[in-house]
Amino acid sequence: MDHCLLWALLLTSQVRVSQCQNGFQPPVPQRVRVEPDFVSQVLSIAWDKDLTYPVLFYDIEVLRTELGEIVYNYTIEVRADSAGRFHHWNWTSPIPLECTSHTVRVRSRQQQHTSDWSEQIVPGMDIPVNTGAKMYPQDRVVAVGSNTTFCCIVQERKEFKSFKYKTSILNSTRLSRRSYAGTVTNQPPSIPSGTNVVCLDDSNYYTGTVVFVGYPPGDRDLVCETRDLVSVECQWRIGQDTYLRGVQRQTHYTLNGKQCKLHNNLVKSSKKDKLQCQLSVTLDQGEINWTLGARNPLGTIQLTDKADINHRVRPHAPLEVYTANVYSRNASVHWRWGPNGYRTLPLECQAHVNSSENTYTFDYSGPGVSEALLKDLQPDEEYTVRIRCRTQQNTWKWGDWSLDYNFQTIKERPDALNIWVWMDSNQTGYVKWKPLSKSESHGQIVAYEVTYWNPEEDGRRTLSLPQTQHRAPLCPGDIGDCVITVTARNSAGTSPAASITIPRFSAGEVHTLYKVSGRNGGFDLFWPPYANTSCGYVVEWCPTGKQDCDVDWRKVPAGNASARIESGSFVAGVRYTFSIYACSSGAPELLERRQGYVVELAPAQHVSELKAQQYGSDVLLSWDEVPLDGRRGFICGYTVYTPNGSHLVPIENITDPNTRSYMVRHLSPGFYKFTVKAHTSGGQDGGVTVSLKLDPSTDWLVIEILVALGAMTGFLFLITIFCYTKRQWVKKTFYPEIPEPKLPEEWPTTPGTFGSRTLAVEPCPHNTVHIVENPERESDKFSPEVELEEEEGDGAGAGESPPDTDSSDPVVLRYYNQVVDDGSQGPRSADSSSSSSSDSSSTSLASTRTDVTYTGIQSAASSSGAPVQPEASDMGGYRPQMTPELASAEPQADSAGPADFPLLGDFGGYQPQITWRADSRPASTAPWAAPHPSAPPSSSSPTPPLRRAQIAYPPPPGFTTCCRANPDPPPSRRHHAVSFFGGDTGLFQLISVFNP
Amino acid sequence: MAGAGAGGRAGSVRSRTGRAVALARLLNRDCTRLLELYRERENFPPEMCLEKDRIVALSPSAPHLSANERVWLLHSALHQCLRLLERVIGWEDEQGFGEEGEYESMRSTVKDRLGHLLQSTKTLLVEGEGIAPLTPNPDNPEETDGLEKGGIFEAKLWTCRVLQELIHWTQSTAQTLHTMHSERDKERGKTTGRKGKRERGGIQS
Repeated sequence: MDHCLLWALLLTSQVRVSQCQNGFQPPVPQRVRVEPDFVSQVLSIAWDKDLTYPVLFYDIEVLRTELGEIVYNYTIEVRADSAGRFHHWNWTSPIPLECTSHTVRVRSRQQQHTSDWSEQIVPGMDIPVNTGAKMYPQDRVVAVGSNTTFCCIVQERKEFKSFKYKTSILNSTRLSRRSYAGTVTNQPPSIPSGTNVVCLDDSNYYTGTVVFVGYPPGDRDLVCETRDLVSVECQWRIGQDTYLRGVQRQTHYTLNGKQCKLHNNLVKSSKKDKLQCQLSVTLDQGEINWTLGARNPLGTIQLTDKADINHRVRPHAPLEVYTANVYSRNASVHWRWGPNGYRTLPLECQAHVNSSENTYTFDYSGPGVSEALLKDLQPDEEYTVRIRCRTQQNTWKWGDWSLDYNFQTIKERPDALNIWVWMDSNQTGYVKWKPLSKSESHGQIVAYEVTYWNPEEDGRRTLSLPQTQHRAPLCPGDIGDCVITVTARNSAGTSPAASITIPRFSAGEVHTLYKVSGRNGGFDLFWPPYANTSCGYVVEWCPTGKQDCDVDWRKVPAGNASARIESGSFVAGVRYTFSIYACSSGAPELLERRQGYVVELAPAQHVSELKAQQYGSDVLLSWDEVPLDGRRGFICGYTVYTPNGSHLVPIENITDPNTRSYMVRHLSPGFYKFTVKAHTSGGQDGGVTVSLKLDPSTDWLVIEILVALGAMTGFLFLITIFCYTKRQWVKKTFYPEIPEPKLPEEWPTTPGTFGSRTLAVEPCPHNTVHIVENPERESDKFSPEVELEEEEGDGAGAGESPPDTDSSDPVVLRYYNQVVDDGSQGPRSADSSSSSSSDSSSTSLASTRTDVTYTGIQSAASSSGAPVQPEASDMGGYRPQMTPELASAEPQADSAGPADFPLLGDFGGYQPQITWRADSRPASTAPWAAPHPSAPPSSSSPTPPLRRAQIAYPPPPGFTTCCRANPDPPPSRRHHAVSFFGGDTGLFQLISVFNP
Repeated sequence: MAGAGAGGRAGSVRSRTGRAVALARLLNRDCTRLLELYRERENFPPEMCLEKDRIVALSPSAPHLSANERVWLLHSALHQCLRLLERVIGWEDEQGFGEEGEYESMRSTVKDRLGHLLQSTKTLLVEGEGIAPLTPNPDNPEETDGLEKGGIFEAKLWTCRVLQELIHWTQSTAQTLHTMHSERDKERGKTTGRKGKRERGGIQS
């Protein structure tokens, strides 16, 4: 009740708010009026001009009345000379004006001075007198992407709960005690029934509204024409879908200001996206603008087409098309135009005739054309015809096609058959004919008749075959000069006869075969023209080598010596044989044959019978050709590979397809594999591999031996030549002349101190070394125990000791005697004399030296018979190292030295390399000995090279030392002989020491 | 044909009742599905438009009514439902809401089958007794047309209520006719039993 009183006061009174100001106060605006436009949410505010006191500025404020919230505040300037008696101002509310009450107040302003407000209230739908729930705006149509603010007024004594836009919850703002607002931004297009916006209160009561979101009209492409010559039809594209449906929201059209309605003259074109509007007009208006207006709640557009409708005549589709007369090869077609007709209108018409095999289009023209003659039809063929027309002058668009009309031409007798004969090598074969196509049969074929005729016998035999059979056997009996005639029969008659004379088949007939390459799925054949042909040529083809071939052929007119052969039966990789016949009145004459592949492929099979045979260091590979079925192309050649790891390495590419072998040369013995692949222009086959173990050749072995022997011989020959040419050097190097002992001139020849004494040749006494072998020791160790047996009266008693008759040292004895003999005989042979004369200078040298002669080491067996001296030359590695020249180069001072007995003196480069002494012996007792050359090397000293034995050496273990000295030698000519006897090896060494 | 009655009625009353029951049940399922489709299209939550007040306010289940009167009331209610549905269809077509979807297809099916059910219930009425259906109460503006009283949203709510009416009355029809069908079966059993007893008694006597 209180609310009612309050709102009554607000609605029935204008409140003037006094504003106490100092000084001047402008007049209050009079008669303020506010007109709400709820659809556009605009408040139209007007107030009277104050003519007595012109005011240039006014303050305008808009408040939400209940909450006193100022939602608009603006100061406007008005023109003093503006027309009219009142001022006007529009304000667009962001929320529907029904949502809540708005207070509009206006005051005048004079600089800083303002009048009192003059107010006006626009009541909303949330005033207490309206107790029900409601949402605003109701059924609003808005553009896609726009924002809309909705408000919800809840029932009295109910509380607002939530907003929902479709299924989304909206944020809400309170506008008044019962009113709440929510805003939706960027709205998408709605469904035809609109988008529901609902409001829920605390009692789960739903209030709602519907908003339709769409687009303004988007129509385009207006084209106007006439079809019936009494009205204009304008078509246009609908364009963008407006998403607005229903009478109140859909697009409404006008054509030149007249309504186009769906139930009247607005129709959807056959194309779904087009509309058309028809308007009755007269055609004498000339060129005018045809304007289409399109309007919906969101906007209006206009489309214009400027045209003279007389030039835009598009005829309707002909009606009632029918055939008046139908024959086997032509038919006349008639049709009717609509009620108005185009009797005088020059028309150009098309008849579109369609059959199962062909399509034709016939053109006709004339005023009001209504019939046409269809020519060149096929007998017994079903046709469909349809007609359309357009104006002959001022050509515009073709009219619509009429409905299809079907008719069938009548039958005729069949065309002549295309026959051919196929014979194989067994002189059997068949005559074959191609089935007649529908355009050739002119009706259903019911049977074939085959007639055999032999002119020689003048007899005929006829055979009737069903329609499904397309071959017949050859003439019975002798087929020579037999003529076969074949005809086809249908319900209209029998075809012309097709005849062929069976050629005599001569077995083994040889014709040159030429290759022909396929191209683009066919073969291009050319052959030399044949003068005697009367009816052209026949090209026959068949898969090569195929028994009972289903032959195919093609007839080529005379004058053409080429043909492009195409067939759906051609298979890639299959060889075809083409036979070209000359057609004549008699039997066909075979001109030539060709073979080819429509597409060559890689061979499907490999070469057969691949073998490998060894020929010395060569291998001969041989193979047979690839079987015909597996070639799948012309063999261009072969490639021989040898495997290298997992790869095949080609070793030869044979480009001659007739080659059946290949020699792999110069192979060394081993295991080999060879792969041979045949190749066509389509590629290579998988290859076949053969392996072979290559054995070494006997000849090769002989050659190797001979070469080795030759090389050895040559080497020896070279050595011989070298030694011969350098024999002097070799002799000096390896066999230096051993200087003979020279007797000094003062050698006493007369009896005196020595002269009266002859050299007693006695075997020198020697020490006997007994070798006591220790059986416990290893045989290879050279460490015998040496036991020296000192002779009694050593030195002095030597002469008294019996001569050593031990058979183990006869060489020593012999040599010793020889030496003595030489010395006693004085100058010897010429050689000796020459040497003595030539070595006169060295004689003195020799007189001051101790000469050592090596007799070498020899086995006991070898030493038994042979003289020592010659054998010494064969003792390689144990030769004197001091050449006479070197010896002569010794300074004479040596000879002048005091060393009258230089047993251990300077030997001029012939020095022992080690000094080996027996600890158990005093150095003076046996100060000389040379190590046995074969003595085991000491760990502390390697085996010395065998040079000249040092006299001071003790005998090596296992050797017997033999030493004899002249019991009365002159001090300067003491002679020592040392012999070593090998214990285990039986070797001995004799070292003679001459001490001049 | 056995059981064919006057007026082109085919089969016995029992079989006609059975067919009407089956058709009412089928239609009830169709109407339920139609309401589902409508809610889906309009994004109406399940709790929306659950009015308890009937648009078609008839009471065929009153105990004092005869079977024929009950059928007649059902027939009248279904007739009003059909009228309401046709009004809704017309209004939606006028508003351009139809788009040849599943809802529109089901709506057409319901309309056709409702006509068949009306025809079936009509055949159950005894000739000469209450053939003409009741007309809507002119004092109930909702019953005449709820589409014009407010905006489109209110019309949608009213459409929702019409669909609920369809569900209600097809269910009522199915139940009522089924009850009648059962009662007739019982009566027939009793009649057959007494007649049999009499016949057996006659034979015995």
